[in-house]
Amino acid sequence: MGFRPMISSLLRSKTGPILVALQIAVTLAIVVNALFIVVQRSEKMNRDPGIDVDNVIVTYVRGFGEDFDVVNSITNDLDLIKSIPGVVTASVLNQVPLSGSGSGTGLRTVPDETIDSVNTARYRWDENGLDALGVRLSRGRNFLPAEVDVVKPTIDSGVPASVLVTQALADDLYGDEDALGQTVYWGDMTQSTIVGIIDHMHGSWVDWSKFNNSVIQPGIEADTTNKYVTRVEPGMRDELMPIIEQKLGESNRSRVIKSVRSLEEIAARSYRPDFAMVTILSIVMALLIGLTALVIVGLASFHVTQRTKQIGTRRALGATRMHIVIQFMLENWLITTAGAALGAILTFGVAYWLEVSYSLTRLDWRYLPAGIAALWILSSLAAMAPARRAASVPPAVATRSV
Amino acid sequence: MFKYHVKLALKSMRRNPIMTTLMVAAIAVGIGVSMTTLTIYYLMSGNPIPAKSDVLFAVTMDSWDPLRPFDDDFPERAPHQVTYHDAERLLSLAKGKRQVAMFESSLIVEPAGNGVLPFEASARVASSDFFPMFDVPFAYGSGWDTAADAAAEPVVVLTKALNERLFGGTDSVGSRLTLSGIRFQIVGVIDTWEPTPRFYDPIESGFEEVNDMFIPYSLTRAMELQSSGSDWGWKAEDINSFEQWLNSESVWIQYFVELDSPGDADKYLAHLDAYVNDQKRLGRFERPLNNNIYDVMEWMEYHEVVATDTRVLVGLSFMFLIVCLISTIALLLTKFVGKKAEISLRRALGASRQVIFNQQIVEVAVIGFSGGLIGLLLSVFGLQGIKFLYESPPGLARLDWVMTFTAIGIAVTSGVIAGLYPAWRVCQIPPAAQLKAQ
Repeated sequence: MGFRPMISSLLRSKTGPILVALQIAVTLAIVVNALFIVVQRSEKMNRDPGIDVDNVIVTYVRGFGEDFDVVNSITNDLDLIKSIPGVVTASVLNQVPLSGSGSGTGLRTVPDETIDSVNTARYRWDENGLDALGVRLSRGRNFLPAEVDVVKPTIDSGVPASVLVTQALADDLYGDEDALGQTVYWGDMTQSTIVGIIDHMHGSWVDWSKFNNSVIQPGIEADTTNKYVTRVEPGMRDELMPIIEQKLGESNRSRVIKSVRSLEEIAARSYRPDFAMVTILSIVMALLIGLTALVIVGLASFHVTQRTKQIGTRRALGATRMHIVIQFMLENWLITTAGAALGAILTFGVAYWLEVSYSLTRLDWRYLPAGIAALWILSSLAAMAPARRAASVPPAVATRSV
Repeated sequence: MFKYHVKLALKSMRRNPIMTTLMVAAIAVGIGVSMTTLTIYYLMSGNPIPAKSDVLFAVTMDSWDPLRPFDDDFPERAPHQVTYHDAERLLSLAKGKRQVAMFESSLIVEPAGNGVLPFEASARVASSDFFPMFDVPFAYGSGWDTAADAAAEPVVVLTKALNERLFGGTDSVGSRLTLSGIRFQIVGVIDTWEPTPRFYDPIESGFEEVNDMFIPYSLTRAMELQSSGSDWGWKAEDINSFEQWLNSESVWIQYFVELDSPGDADKYLAHLDAYVNDQKRLGRFERPLNNNIYDVMEWMEYHEVVATDTRVLVGLSFMFLIVCLISTIALLLTKFVGKKAEISLRRALGASRQVIFNQQIVEVAVIGFSGGLIGLLLSVFGLQGIKFLYESPPGLARLDWVMTFTAIGIAVTSGVIAGLYPAWRVCQIPPAAQLKAQ
């Protein structure tokens, strides 16, 4: 059996099939592009932060009143937090990674203002900072307690002698050269020595292209708002959060406990637009696929009903049930394939529009064949029931009401 | 006749319940999804202060690093904020009809009475013109006057929400309130005010909530207020005191000016140029002269307040609506073909093509209208969902009358467009031809 009878029957009532093909084309274009965005955003959200996000609690406190001594308060608070059973260690950070707020700077390998600096997030923490975040030092050494000074934000306290950098920042600065032990220059051309390298750690701004670049200075920043980062034993986090809040609240009344949050929640907040995009696009894709499948079923059923007599005649002339099923499935396949061909062009059209107008990442072409294959399967499944019903038309129908 | 059409339409819809449901559902889902995204887009891109958006201008001056531009991606742009001392000098020159220098900070509120714990609240630190310039509505009292600006008086204007929290919503004007250790006098309480986007400060995001309270800009020095917004610096400066910080080249103050008419922009720019040229003589502003003012809508565009994601979603969801319409056309065609016998009969009994056509259009419009209504309902849910997903402020996910009528309009129009071809096809059925086969 060839394609001729199918094509001729398709051509006889062409509007229906053309519409279905058109619908399949637009569906393909939307689904492929939406899926690509969804996968990209999911990958972005699932990047390894290099931090023990699940077991870290972040506490924001702010002191007030004439008698408030910020340095004392920080020391006492950290001692108090560390004394709570289940707490691994705690540190005070100038900024919280993954939080969307932070401070950045530029570093150079030579003291020359005319050279563009390498941009990086800038952190300050004490000798417990690494452990409090669960960040791994791959080479070199941690800060020594003697290197940790108290720093007030508007007071220039001079630049520390030792810094840690992430591997990504080391690569940006020194390329293939070993960064350990090298000198880096700050904006005012003061210099620091790299004493340790962090294998991998995410910075503050999840959308920034230099998200992996961080430099860490030793110190305790006595800011208006102090950010305590506490790492706890696995599984203890939710239990310890209210305890920390309560104990800190009781210990000193001239402090406002602004919030006690898990780092997981803080990170989720930063990724909220991506999560929203993934959710919305997933719903749209599900609705779209469902609708298209229903329409294929509806139209295929209608064609079967309309052609009952033709099917009966073919059956009477010796076509087996299998032949009828194959006829309808092939017919459906032809429509789907025509739609997919048009859809391929449309898909790249939409991808081009997204790339040029909104500078989205260029579509990975492999999504298209995958999308077409999925469409073939979907449309075959949708056409299965109507085709089976067509096959059950008895040959005798042909002889009736002629 | 119209009533008869509607009656027939309902009858015909009841005859094919699955088909009808599918068609209504297709339109409803299409409208629901596209109206949800369109509403967000409409609210994001809306004009937050239509009466004055063309006479309010954000002021930028290029005081940045002589070696490189402020923003590598837009090298022609000056920094979007100004230095503290430039803002102070522009304020004292007062060349606009009104002008405001401002930034965001936060203070500790120490409520009177025992048992109420102190808490942190955000504050907009602004000069007195803020209120008349931006048409801020007052529930009680008013803003402060220029005398309070000049004397750096500790006066405060509360939002309705903070007044509710502290004073149970009563008229608190004249009461005292301790903020970060200083006794303030409450001079006003603003009424509900949700500028969407928050045009006067779109820097972090265009859709932040209005700050809890407002205090005079001139208190900055006395209270050593720090910005909780962003500050940007380029120059390595020795900063060992708050005064040195205020005199630094860091940009962290937002500056707006109101002019009498949009035509005065050039005159104001000339004033800015004169100011900057004066400063150049003092060795500042080493970059080429690059001052600019942006009216409200230009400022929204500058900060890209409409998120790229939103634009992409609007585009994709309208393609989705197209798919829904194609489905509806295909289903209608299918259905009409099934009605050949009936149409033939009506034609044979004397109904003209026009009547048959009208009949079909009414049926399609009924489907479009019901689909539109259900779609509208879906978009209400959709907006709730978006509100939840983005944790957006109250102004950003509400359906107003414009959008409601747009939704119904789009639904009926698209229903009719989808129905035109099938209806035309049905009219072509010759009278009696179908009757023969019976």
